[in-house]
Amino acid sequence: MDLLEFARGPALQVAAYILVAGTIWRIVGILLLREKPDYSEPRARGGLGAALKVIYSRSFTATPFKPATLYPKMLAYVMHIGLFAVVLLFVPHIMFFEGFLGFSWPGLPNNAIYVLGVASVASAVALLVRRLTSPVLRLISNFDDYFSWFVSTLPLVTGLIIPLRIGFRYEDLLAIHILSVVLLMIWLPFGKLGHTFLVFITRGTTGMVFERRGART
Amino acid sequence: MTGPEEVRNTPFYGNVGPLLNEVLHAVDRLLETDEPTTIDLAGLPFGPGELEHLEATLGTGELSCKLDALGTSRIRETAYPGVWWLEHRNPHDEVVGRYIEITRTPEILSSQEADITAGRARLEDQLTT
Amino acid sequence: MKKRPTVGEVLQAKGVSRRGFLKYCATTASILALPPSMIPRIAAAIESARRPSVIWLSFQECTGCTESLTRSASPTVEGLIFDAISLDYHHTLQAASGDQAEAARHAAMEENHGSYLVLVDGSIPLGNPGYSTIAGISNLDMLKETVEGAAAVVAIGSCAAFGGIPGADPNPTGAVAVDELVTDKPVINVPGCPPIPMVMTAVLTQFLTFGQLPELDKHGRPLAFYGQTIHDRCYRRPFYEQGKFAETFDDEGAKAGWCLYKLGCKGPITYNACATAKWNSGTSFPIEGGHPCLGCSEPAFWDKGGFYNPLSTGKFDSGTKLAGAAAAGVAMGVVAAAAGRRRQDKFTREG
Repeated sequence: MDLLEFARGPALQVAAYILVAGTIWRIVGILLLREKPDYSEPRARGGLGAALKVIYSRSFTATPFKPATLYPKMLAYVMHIGLFAVVLLFVPHIMFFEGFLGFSWPGLPNNAIYVLGVASVASAVALLVRRLTSPVLRLISNFDDYFSWFVSTLPLVTGLIIPLRIGFRYEDLLAIHILSVVLLMIWLPFGKLGHTFLVFITRGTTGMVFERRGART
Repeated sequence: MTGPEEVRNTPFYGNVGPLLNEVLHAVDRLLETDEPTTIDLAGLPFGPGELEHLEATLGTGELSCKLDALGTSRIRETAYPGVWWLEHRNPHDEVVGRYIEITRTPEILSSQEADITAGRARLEDQLTT
Repeated sequence: MKKRPTVGEVLQAKGVSRRGFLKYCATTASILALPPSMIPRIAAAIESARRPSVIWLSFQECTGCTESLTRSASPTVEGLIFDAISLDYHHTLQAASGDQAEAARHAAMEENHGSYLVLVDGSIPLGNPGYSTIAGISNLDMLKETVEGAAAVVAIGSCAAFGGIPGADPNPTGAVAVDELVTDKPVINVPGCPPIPMVMTAVLTQFLTFGQLPELDKHGRPLAFYGQTIHDRCYRRPFYEQGKFAETFDDEGAKAGWCLYKLGCKGPITYNACATAKWNSGTSFPIEGGHPCLGCSEPAFWDKGGFYNPLSTGKFDSGTKLAGAAAAGVAMGVVAAAAGRRRQDKFTREG
């Protein structure tokens, strides 16, 4: 079995088990936790409406924080939009999903994907530079932050290298790309990349708790 | 005549435009440093009709020759002086090679040392008999 | 040992002029995928090269490789090469049979000991010697005996190079490739099902011209022909980049000649010269005929899943196991939550 066969076969298979089991484990584990008791009289009910409000409002920077966070927030948007487009709109990727979903959707031309991919990597690098140069961010960053950055940027880089053919053969580059995705799939449920599926759950929970305590959201 | 501008806009497979650019750069080299270039068309990807399209685009210039050696070869200057189109055929009249040469005279047109020597010997024989 | 004539002498005797010879060298450079600037060197080398003796052995094969070679696109160039080599044994092409044929093989081996070339098509069964024999000799024995005095071995076709169809799962005859058995001689793999005729003759020409083995890739294939993928040299490549794909064999995209990636084309991982050398006197190659590349020059191409499965498809087995993984996730989540609740309760009590 060559490297590509290994990557496409057993490696991807095991990573898929881990991704599915890990993701459901974490979601179920969190949702089944007991809610914290309210030690003071709730100011409001704090229902679904409150959750949705924060899910929406936290998508934008609150005015007082704009000077400090507009730049990283924009980078984060470019990074995430680029990442989503590359993952979901690159035609070979769509065919990968079609392979087990059974349906497909239209994609973008490769050249557009290359541009988006490069923009995404550039934003990721800029965000890492910011993390490394800001004393506060450095202080609150741990292994999880750096490793999560690494495993999510790596597939973008290995994917963008494929059409460039730097020093390797196509099938080896493709195998490396798939293996980098395998690494991402294995790590995704457990570290901070868990925000992929937890982001709206945590935001919604925050919204409900804040409203009960009477905080302005 | 079809110009390179139109070629770039034709709905072909897009393999002709870049090649014409390569020819343009080779002409620059010939003008600047007198360095000739040979482009072997066998190693390049062409879709159906593209090769004919390329040949038609380069067109026909003032000079064209026919060479009979191991089959027929046609050598002609294209509409762009210094750019030559060479097509070698075997005795079965099948094309065995196509080249674009960017040069003042393709080497194969010159009389070859070995052939001149052999020809001289034949001429001498003629005179002595 | 009688002195074999040089190729230059053969051509001169045929009354080929220097111009004709230069033309021949130009087309040779072209099929060897060498830059035109190499033509003078090729001319010098060909002039002084001597005809090598060639012994061709056919084992578990379909004769498709021989068919391909004898129907090669430009008979004259190939013809010149065959004038320039001495094919001393080939049990499909030779007139002799039985004892005479075997005698010719032994004579060629003795006369050219250490300098002859062995070409092999077909794989060699290790399961039972009786699976494939020639003149009562098992393939394995004949290969070992013949290779002993050879300068080099050329494995023609995917069966000889990689085991091929006989070696496909479950490999009932225990078929193996030539280079698994011949380890003390240089082996050049010229895979393909069949290989491009020009490539077969070009490998011989290269050996003849430079007296040395070509540069090989990790699968023992000459880089001159197997150095680039079909995809990299495909005239439909621009459509791949534009994201224009044929979805079925008869849709508008297929008619417009769009990229066949979605129909399972293995061009991106297949190293061969089809896209430029083409087939049938340079008429076309499979993709030009509207069919995706099967990857026939790659090891184990027959066992790589469906020919029509796109390359980017993952190889998952059943969805049942994924459902199992999901169930395991639920179970682990419940356990984790129970532990979490106990911890929460403890804090609440203590707090």
